[in-house]
Amino acid sequence: MADRATFEADITPFASQLYSAALRMTRNPADAEDVLQEALLKAFRGYHTFEKGTNLKAWLYRILTNTFINKYRERSRRPAEVELGELEDLYLFKRLGGEEGAGGATRSAEEEALDSFVDDEIKAAVESLPENFRIPVLLADVEGFSYKEIAEIMDVPIGTVMSRLHRGRKALQRALWRFAEERGTRA
Amino acid sequence: MNCRQAHAQMYEYLDHENSMLRRLRVRWHLYRCPPCGKGFSFEHALHVRVRDGCHEELPEELSQRLRALLREEAGEQG
Repeated sequence: MADRATFEADITPFASQLYSAALRMTRNPADAEDVLQEALLKAFRGYHTFEKGTNLKAWLYRILTNTFINKYRERSRRPAEVELGELEDLYLFKRLGGEEGAGGATRSAEEEALDSFVDDEIKAAVESLPENFRIPVLLADVEGFSYKEIAEIMDVPIGTVMSRLHRGRKALQRALWRFAEERGTRA
Repeated sequence: MNCRQAHAQMYEYLDHENSMLRRLRVRWHLYRCPPCGKGFSFEHALHVRVRDGCHEELPEELSQRLRALLREEAGEQG
């Protein structure tokens, strides 16, 4: 068994990020706590197998993701694969008024309009994505993992990561646009 | 490179996942085509907004519970 103090010191820098990811995966604090707790215990028990000098963050996320998938699939029995329908490029940009006028050096009106989204809407939009799209979006856009790292974390081919990530991002824009419409605010 | 080809590579470009040669070709297109430049810039800003909007701090009580759990697992006294 790894030394508890060493393990704790090594993982502390990632604790808030792991908790944030667990919240987005499970969509509620009680389940997020369960998943995080179980993942940390597994990580602690398996820490002697972690190769020093390799990517600790990716290793921790792999354990977290697997813990979530195992728990979640048991509980909900939802089909793992969900389709998203037709998705267009630059969905949100176009609806926030994009494509008019030439681009300047300053922030565009569409980019300014992004500030009108509150954090709760961003979180809800991410959480509205089906699991197989939500995880790659979280790992890439929130955690900053590369396609290769995500493929290793999720144990799927890199091409699958790319197609789910790209489609997930477009679906995320559709969800965000729904919030903008509900608010009735347009750029 | 035309607009359609540039858009087909947009996410790989924004994620720094394409080769240097492809990056240069996309960048040249964005330089020459301001509408595409604006669209790409928006997508980048959206990524940043999503990242910032999803951040949460680990609550202190939960942090304490997790530390206690690890001490227990390690067989240490609470």
